[in-house]
Amino acid sequence: MRLGVQTQNIINDSNPSEGFAMMAKAGFACADFSLNSYLINSSIYRGELNDFFNRTVRELEEFFLPHKRAAGEAGVAIHQMHMPYPMYVPGGKAELNDYLWNQVAPKSMELCHFFGCPYIVVHGFKLVHYLGSEEKEWEQTEKFIHSIAPMAKEMGITICIENLYDGLGGHLIEGPCCDGKKVVERIDRINERYGTEVLGFCFDTGHANLAGINFERFIGMLGHRLKVLHIHDNDGIADLHQIPFTFSRSRGNKTSTDWEGFVRGLGKIGFDKVLSFETAPVLDAFPEEMKRDAIGFIARIGGYFVERGKIIFETGMDTKVYAFCQENR
Amino acid sequence: MTEKTNKEINIVCAPAGIVSIKSPGRGIACLSDAGFESMLLDFSLCCPPEELEKTGKERGTEAALAFEEECCGESAENEYDGNGSISLSQSFSLIEQCQKSGMRIKIAYAPYLPRSYKYSNLNALLAMLAKESIRACGQAGCKYIVIRPLFAGIPDEEIWSRNREYYMELALLAREYEVQILLENQCRDRNGHLVRGICADIYEAISWVDSFNETLGEERFGFCMDVGACNLCGMNMYDFISGLGERLKAVVLRDCDGSHENALLPFASVNNGQAQTDWLGLIRGLREQGFAGEMIFNMKDTISAFPSLLYPELLKWAKAIADYFKWQIGMENILKKYPSRVLFGAGNMCRNYMKCYGEKYPPLYSCDNDSAIWGTVFCGLEVKNPQCLKELPEECAVFICNIYYEEIKAQLKDMGIRNPIEYFNDEYMPSYYFDRLEMKAVPDRIF
Repeated sequence: MRLGVQTQNIINDSNPSEGFAMMAKAGFACADFSLNSYLINSSIYRGELNDFFNRTVRELEEFFLPHKRAAGEAGVAIHQMHMPYPMYVPGGKAELNDYLWNQVAPKSMELCHFFGCPYIVVHGFKLVHYLGSEEKEWEQTEKFIHSIAPMAKEMGITICIENLYDGLGGHLIEGPCCDGKKVVERIDRINERYGTEVLGFCFDTGHANLAGINFERFIGMLGHRLKVLHIHDNDGIADLHQIPFTFSRSRGNKTSTDWEGFVRGLGKIGFDKVLSFETAPVLDAFPEEMKRDAIGFIARIGGYFVERGKIIFETGMDTKVYAFCQENR
Repeated sequence: MTEKTNKEINIVCAPAGIVSIKSPGRGIACLSDAGFESMLLDFSLCCPPEELEKTGKERGTEAALAFEEECCGESAENEYDGNGSISLSQSFSLIEQCQKSGMRIKIAYAPYLPRSYKYSNLNALLAMLAKESIRACGQAGCKYIVIRPLFAGIPDEEIWSRNREYYMELALLAREYEVQILLENQCRDRNGHLVRGICADIYEAISWVDSFNETLGEERFGFCMDVGACNLCGMNMYDFISGLGERLKAVVLRDCDGSHENALLPFASVNNGQAQTDWLGLIRGLREQGFAGEMIFNMKDTISAFPSLLYPELLKWAKAIADYFKWQIGMENILKKYPSRVLFGAGNMCRNYMKCYGEKYPPLYSCDNDSAIWGTVFCGLEVKNPQCLKELPEECAVFICNIYYEEIKAQLKDMGIRNPIEYFNDEYMPSYYFDRLEMKAVPDRIF
């Protein structure tokens, strides 16, 4: 299993080689290309678009050619990409939504293809307040997926929907794509229609933790539909995108996120893709001088997950029991 | 706000924080004075979770507890033997006092453990208390009892089998005492972080209830939805209610900030002027289901934090909030109660009525005090002079679609209108437009 990390806060557009080399040196063979950092969500919600996606596809490819070359030279594969989001702003101007849907989305697909990236992560629409139910909300997300699915099929890309959260007075609750059973039915139905895997799933550990979702059960339901991961941690209250194992909510100071369940879930479905970390904010938190160490530590945690998976599934034992047996052998 | 219908929500007040188990008379009188007519028979007043925890820790040897903690799920040998002092005997005076005061008891809640309790040594005691609760429940003429599942010290893979055995045994007693057992969505304590526990997954909740009932060949099990637990786990309440359907017999209404487990007065937990519980999803779901079960109002922590001298006013306020929920949830029932209806008001509220209910419960017309719009058509409705209401057929109801309810109601009374007058409200609607009338129009469709 390979390790990956998002490019945001690591890759500098003026010198992408440096960042990719740093990633490779830390032990990451893959990158999650943060295309969303070129048109950020808060600007989109405010209706304040920059001109980045006004470029033609050719111009965009030229812009990213140094990135592509640098990744190749460093031996880092662009395994997954994050499309800008949201792709629909409720109550937003028609021109805004038209631009997102008909310019930003298809150009993102083109760039994904340009990088030779097999997976692109998209966000489902958050419309339950207006439309009344998750089912009706999904109908609109599905319309969007159908708008880019033919491109995905032609380019051999799998669009990945992600479990999201929504907010109520600062309290984060379940958002789109948090019902594993519905997710499975929808992915299978859409893929059957296109005759190929145009749709898959991105499991986001941090978002799942915020909604108190049972990691092991959810991953188990997804099975082969799980293509991409966003690994990060939080306190169960805010979407902090921090390093796994860093949060505790009790005096015992044990992790309040179910990382064992995460590893067991991946093992159960035989997940063999990329353990990809979505931990860009960590690199804002640490001083510049410690950036390389922080990246290295994240990779080390990835390595730990791989090893844990092996122990659990080679021995069939729970971690604590295994450690106990090792000590008393 | 409401008129009696054949099938309607029963408002139940949880006594915790209000009624003392040792001398329940005063607390019950307080509830009664506030207008509550039903009370939850809460057996955890006799043996609170923290008392049970203390008992468990005293009875479990240090080594056994340490071993369990290490191995997370191995069963300790030192289970409670049933000979301790914990019992529900004090509940009899509570039941007696309720009966004397005319306070109805229709639903009960069995004792339970703190969510963080990890050891299996109290499971036998819990089973004993659950049985004792069912007997007391039956003797009090109580219809439902909420019994939480066994979880402490039980490995994940045995949760279903152990609880199946547990509930099947309880069901035989429940049958004898003609009581229905309600399962409830649980939180699981993950080192201080409360995440989705047993029956918090809607598919699991459905399968447990249906499987038990199928085995028994009768509807001995139903479901109680704990809104606070849903909120702590950020669950989609609308979907949860829709999934449960007729299995849903009771709802525990309590507020919290989504992070700490509290039982606050609904609408009390706010941040930046916004509620932190999804009341919209809850009301949408319950209204759509036509929910007419037990609505348990639990505000234990709010009560505890208030000065006791303010209890009477606080309880009256709580009753008003409970009535508000009942009214909002029953909104569609009110609409369908009348053979025909007209609306008063031709603004956003009327527009929202027409969006959500216009087809199902079409009004004859709308009227408005603004003479400039008489004779116009708004959302497919003719807007008339309110004087036209004098010619309404007797059974036709006037639904006021404007927040100046009292003023308009007085106007209608002054006009001599004798038709039923109801308040319509659009704060919790099945769906919304993306805009309001006063805003610049935005498209209401997505491509």
